[in-house]
Amino acid sequence: MQQQRRLTLKAAMSWGAFACSVPFLGAQTLSKTEPQSSGRLVLVFLRGAYDGLSMLVPHGDPHYALIRPNISIPKPDGTSQTALKLDDLFGLHPACASLLPLWQQGVLAAIPCAGSPDSSRSHFDAQYHWETGKPGSSSPSAGWMNVLSAMLDTAGAAGVSNANNVVSAIGVGESSPKILSGPHKIQLVGNGNSAMRAGSLAESKTRDAVLQLYASDTHLASAMLDGSSSRMKTAEMLKPQAATGMLAEQQAANNGAGAPQGLALDAKNLGTLMRQNRNLRLGFLSAGGWDTHINQGNVNGQLANNLQNLSRTLLQLREAFNEPHDVVVVASEFGRTSAENGTRGTDHGHGNVMWLMGNGVNGGKWHGRWDGLAKAQLNEGRDLPVHHDFRAVFSQALVNALGVTQLQTENLFQGARWDSGLNSLFKA
Amino acid sequence: MLQATEFNCSKAIKLLIGVLVFTLSGCGQNPKVISDSSSLVLNEPQITPSNRPAAQWRAINRLNYGPTTASLAAVQAAPSPVQWALAQLDAARVASQSAPKVPADMASINSSLPALFEGAQKERQSRAAVAAGTPINDAQPFNERFNFNVEPDPLYFNRTQVNKAVAWRLASCSNDEIEQPLLARMTEFWFNHFNIYQQKGTVRPFAGHYAIHVARAHALGKFEDLLMASAKHPAMLYYLDQWLSVSPQTNRTGQVVRGLNENYARELMELHTLGVQGGYSQNDVKELAKILTGWTISAKSDDGFQFVPRLHESGQKTLLGQAIPSSPRFIGEGEGVQALQLLARHPATAKRISQRLAEYFVADMPPPELVQHLTKVFINTEGDIYQVMSALIRSEAFWNSEQRLYRTPYDFVCGSLRLMQAGNDRAKWLQGVGYTFAAGQTIQNWQTPDGYSFDAATWMSPEALTRRIDFAFGIARNSREPLEVYPFLSESSLKAVYKQTPAQRMGFVLGSPEFIYK
Repeated sequence: MQQQRRLTLKAAMSWGAFACSVPFLGAQTLSKTEPQSSGRLVLVFLRGAYDGLSMLVPHGDPHYALIRPNISIPKPDGTSQTALKLDDLFGLHPACASLLPLWQQGVLAAIPCAGSPDSSRSHFDAQYHWETGKPGSSSPSAGWMNVLSAMLDTAGAAGVSNANNVVSAIGVGESSPKILSGPHKIQLVGNGNSAMRAGSLAESKTRDAVLQLYASDTHLASAMLDGSSSRMKTAEMLKPQAATGMLAEQQAANNGAGAPQGLALDAKNLGTLMRQNRNLRLGFLSAGGWDTHINQGNVNGQLANNLQNLSRTLLQLREAFNEPHDVVVVASEFGRTSAENGTRGTDHGHGNVMWLMGNGVNGGKWHGRWDGLAKAQLNEGRDLPVHHDFRAVFSQALVNALGVTQLQTENLFQGARWDSGLNSLFKA
Repeated sequence: MLQATEFNCSKAIKLLIGVLVFTLSGCGQNPKVISDSSSLVLNEPQITPSNRPAAQWRAINRLNYGPTTASLAAVQAAPSPVQWALAQLDAARVASQSAPKVPADMASINSSLPALFEGAQKERQSRAAVAAGTPINDAQPFNERFNFNVEPDPLYFNRTQVNKAVAWRLASCSNDEIEQPLLARMTEFWFNHFNIYQQKGTVRPFAGHYAIHVARAHALGKFEDLLMASAKHPAMLYYLDQWLSVSPQTNRTGQVVRGLNENYARELMELHTLGVQGGYSQNDVKELAKILTGWTISAKSDDGFQFVPRLHESGQKTLLGQAIPSSPRFIGEGEGVQALQLLARHPATAKRISQRLAEYFVADMPPPELVQHLTKVFINTEGDIYQVMSALIRSEAFWNSEQRLYRTPYDFVCGSLRLMQAGNDRAKWLQGVGYTFAAGQTIQNWQTPDGYSFDAATWMSPEALTRRIDFAFGIARNSREPLEVYPFLSESSLKAVYKQTPAQRMGFVLGSPEFIYK
């Protein structure tokens, strides 16, 4: 019995090594016959509640500059010191100038008043609700991307193998985020350059020795094999000399800009890995540093710096996720107060701006309801209201990009209703 | 040699297979627990000869970060593992009441607060004096991080303070001559519970002082004192912006230029005390923010704190239904003191702290009866952390081998340094820092006030496990052979260890299930 299990584990391990040596096979067999639903979803989650009203600037709202005397972005005047005009109501923060072409090409869209129906202003509670897809509940629950990855797996929505072991979700960072944790296997990769190191277990002799060390603990043994196989594949795929035509093209498109760092590097690695392993349909990235209670700045300052990094990250993702049904979503657990607080920053609010980017996205416009910043229109007189449940936004993306059925989204996000007010989000 | 191995193996099997057996003994044997009522006492652990080694291993890995040769011998020589554990608790309390033994080259983290403010000010001044266009070298080579033998350039005062604070945490968690080992565990727990982010600009010079004078000094005292120390410390006042939160101030044209900031008030209730389900509202957050207006930093006073009446919002406030100030004599600073007392003594706080201690020392999902028991002790002793810990150590759950914990990356680093007896080998400390960084648990570096998670769900992923094994093999290269630990390993672990050359065995011991879990 013991012997047999050992053999199975060994077999699994050598499969990992084999898969690692032929990393591009899967991608090639798929490319021509993609069904309409073969898109991929990447979520960029900004932890700490980013100030959406600084990224999608409501310059045309008469209240905006009044309630933010020190931190508002000036009305568009065509220079880089003011908001970049999107329409008569909204503009883009000048630090996000590199995203303007995407808006103009019609592949970037915003939903100004989205969020969680739960009223919590706790970062940690709200993040938990977003990541489990269960607003208001703090009970133990799997992350919704984990649950969804199992649905994709068994539904075979991409036309890929639906064997039970297919890993279809990947996250950057090796401590598991809630949204990816649960019963289904997912892949994690290290941040930045650490992802490129396969580690000591790349040696089969070392793996064998550690396998013996874990002979009495099957959980550790299989985790060790999964982890070493995952890291070997990742390191192989991220090797610079592994450049395919596509990679070279991407490097050219980089136009001599410095190598991406931080979140943008993570985004680049994520793009490379998801391009080479077409079973991966769900990607997750997150970044902190958005909790701007004091001196958040306006055209320049700490928030502007963060927005510039975010824009770089989104450009990296745009390069990698430009197939017809790919979609990238940007969101935070809640928004910030509409008015500035007593320390030239903003406190915890409620509704916030969500962004969608992709060829299928009905971009170059904003979607859903917007009632303005008059006090009477605000949640508790202070925050953007939530007119659109974040789960309804994701449901639209899942149906339109991933080929998940509406019924499946209702199972995934129990209690969330289909929001026909967002039916315009994707091109017909 | 082979003979000895087999002997050890069979001993180890017994040890592993033998699940700890506990009797349903009553409460009569427990005279030390104060305020006993029969409902307070849980079943006591019964240590028998067959489960004694497992209990020893369990205690030393949970109440310390793991064994050293000497401490393993001490727990084996003790009359019982429970008595050893209670003696650890007493020793930790005594140590917490005296000054820490900070190694000389890191001692400046324990300077007076006015001196730390002055150092930060000098850094500002010297940076301002650098001629425009002259680059300041902020990128420090990783290998030099723990080299403090040079007099710190005033340009890099803050960075050096942060590095020293991290170095002290590593020294104190791994070396018993520097810190009582249970106190190091408690310091980590409280630092994390009242988390600050040491990279926030203004917080940097104070991180080590905060660890010593807040987390360590009150680690086994009254929770209320700990809460108060945290509230008044410059590191916390800066970190959650309390120092800037004031009654709305207007300029000559009537425009509001400064005002309330809710950040600290919210986290004080959500994280430090009541918990998010603790029954407070947005209005309570606002009222608490008003109550605390005027609490701010002082660069000159010994405790780094001052209350500025002119910044305080006057008038009556209501917190959780209670009028604050409750009488005119509390007007002003006393309002904040009343609010902190109210929060510290609230039953929701007792429950939250008990839950978190049980998660840290017992299991990711500790038995609810244990948490209830600890909550009662907390309430009955007015938040005496020593008494809560004493009850925890005496509980059946603490000794029950079914309650498992997975070491966090930081815990794994400390445990590895201990077992290797790395002492002052700072190259090894740096390896530990590198690993905690890759694993996502850089020391004192969690940005948000919730602190790091401690659960296996966060830290145990396949990729993270392999990164841990890399670290274990790397740091243990050519280190001594930890023979004294072999009786505590399972048969299969020991077999795998013996297949390695003696120089490789330490790495395999660190990577073994018995060391990865606790």
